[in-house]
Amino acid sequence: MLDALGMLGAGFAHVMQGGAAFHALWATLVGIVVGALPGLTATMGVALLTTLTFSMDHSVALLVLVCVYVGAIYGGSRSAILLNIPGTPASAASTLDGYPLARQGLAGRAMGISTSGSWLGTLFGTLCLALFAPVIGEYALEFQSYEMFWVAMFGIVIAGSLAGGDPLKGYIAGFLGLWVATVGQEANHAYARFAFGSTDLAGGLGLLPVLVGVFGVAEVLSAMRGPAVRAVSSRIDSVIPRIRDVLRYWRTVLRSGAIGTFIGAMPGLGEDIAAWTSYAAAKRGSREAERFGKGSIEGLMAAETGESACVPGAIIPVLTLAVPGSAPAAVLMAAMMIHGLNPGPMLAIQTPEFIYQIVAMLIVADMVKLFYGLLLVRPLLWVLLIPRERLMPVVLVLCTVGSYAITSRLFDVWVMLGAGLVGFVLRELRFPMAPLVLGIVLGDLLDKNLLRGLVLSGGDVTPFFTRPISAVLAALVALMFLMSIPPVNAWVSRRMRGALGALLRRRPA
Amino acid sequence: MSESGEAPETHPPFAGERAPVSPRADLIAAAVLLAFGLGVLGLALRMPTFVEQSGTGLTAPGIVPGFHGTVIAVLSLLLGLRAVRRGGLRGGGGSGAAAGVPAATKREDALRLFVAAALGTLYAGFLVGRLPFWLATALFVFAFTAGFEWTLGRAGRPRRLIEAAALALGTGWAVQLVFEDLFLVRLP
Repeated sequence: MLDALGMLGAGFAHVMQGGAAFHALWATLVGIVVGALPGLTATMGVALLTTLTFSMDHSVALLVLVCVYVGAIYGGSRSAILLNIPGTPASAASTLDGYPLARQGLAGRAMGISTSGSWLGTLFGTLCLALFAPVIGEYALEFQSYEMFWVAMFGIVIAGSLAGGDPLKGYIAGFLGLWVATVGQEANHAYARFAFGSTDLAGGLGLLPVLVGVFGVAEVLSAMRGPAVRAVSSRIDSVIPRIRDVLRYWRTVLRSGAIGTFIGAMPGLGEDIAAWTSYAAAKRGSREAERFGKGSIEGLMAAETGESACVPGAIIPVLTLAVPGSAPAAVLMAAMMIHGLNPGPMLAIQTPEFIYQIVAMLIVADMVKLFYGLLLVRPLLWVLLIPRERLMPVVLVLCTVGSYAITSRLFDVWVMLGAGLVGFVLRELRFPMAPLVLGIVLGDLLDKNLLRGLVLSGGDVTPFFTRPISAVLAALVALMFLMSIPPVNAWVSRRMRGALGALLRRRPA
Repeated sequence: MSESGEAPETHPPFAGERAPVSPRADLIAAAVLLAFGLGVLGLALRMPTFVEQSGTGLTAPGIVPGFHGTVIAVLSLLLGLRAVRRGGLRGGGGSGAAAGVPAATKREDALRLFVAAALGTLYAGFLVGRLPFWLATALFVFAFTAGFEWTLGRAGRPRRLIEAAALALGTGWAVQLVFEDLFLVRLP
């Protein structure tokens, strides 16, 4: 415990050296603006800033990216409350009660609730990260190739099952992502897969250009397609959070924090599912459930706490298993790799202090977020007034610069463009993007560990199913997959209901 | 703190993201993905196995992409069968997200999308790398902003064009300054 506190102190000292406060201030502001602007998401913000921080020291670069991530998830609630338009998909649940509150003339109070809920959520999630990441990291050291293969498969299956509402399309998106990761030279024989003689393709499709395309270019196209709508104006009262609101709903804050962190730690699910799940749980447990959707303070608090707790939650598997918990966390993980850090089980051995540096970064970002939450209302309204016809071309320019900057190849700009167009079509066909991103990130992990496992066992596949952790993970993957088949799901639900009914009938006797 | 807000014009970017698409669209997507999956499988099978080097062939580069291709093909087949069961082969293709939207609106949306995609492709695919970056950027931003704002009507058009030109030149200059000079990032 004292060791952990010492490392946390050292983490703060390390993070706050140099001009860190200045970087935290501007990066969180950029994050909030990106999050607040409809059409720009946290994933895109983190991806674009990754290129900007390319030449920075790695701890400053990661501080900037963590601040952007934390700020963007919070910023989405501004437009959700004021315009009834979620700035990021994560803020969709906040529109349900945030906008009705704004229409009742309580926009300021709604933003105060959003600020306090979001601040407490990130703080709760960060505490969980500090407590559980080292433990999970130590446990993950037991994992060998067989287990890591199943971790990757588990990520794809759980993200595919839950991320988009249609598991079949989720799985297809996940495997498309896994395929993208196989393009280029493989590790064992340096054979260029799917290169067709092109030296550019032999180098592989860069993770960041693909992500910038899928989340940047595709979003620009989505935003430009439909007609502009005129949002309802609202007056803004005091944005100072009320302690009474927080104290009254402390159970909701704790429950939403726990749900948000847990969902964040599940591979590929992300902030939007965390917000919706927290909201649904709060509604089920509330004494004033009838107010939900009509301007419930508890509902808004639950959604905001859940989505913000998800941010540190999504970083837990990045640090312990090298498996991102959400799309922005996937980009953050890529940024860690670009900066020479090695997220995953070995992190606890090689650089145990890094976990606490991330904790310190999250706390700094959370504090700066609180500061802006209290002050930044009027300037954000001006930002929201920028017409998309003027904003989107600038975003596309930034996407282009971002794709080019990492390796200075024009090929990466074309990859971004291609990924954007394909990503847009896939989105239009309702293929979820989270499993696709997770597939691209986990592709290498799955590829190497499957082949390594086969080589170690001499071609025998039984260790993939008989080693204890492998067996549990394989069973979970099979269960998730089977439960996503509607007839199986219906049959299991029927049997469960029957068994539960029989149990309840037996109890009075 | 008491402040009042204006009425900003914004487009909800995530609206309808969860609305289902028509079975016909699913069927076409399934056919394309099935062909893609089978194509990946075919290419994976044609990859060398390196049996001489590894002794077992277990490190063959085609194993993993072959597995992915097979799964994509099988899942696409299931998607196609589901689309057929939902009426993908019937005329009209069933109801989808676009059902109920007037034809004129659909045409206008398609035109906006085409213009945005074409300008983006022209910029990132052709202009960047051929022209100085600031010039390519300024041309693109001006064409994009002026083009989309052209439909707003004659009133105020000269002013909007001047603003678009200022935005274009400002973006070209600012991106060069911030990325190349401040953050030492190389530009195309």
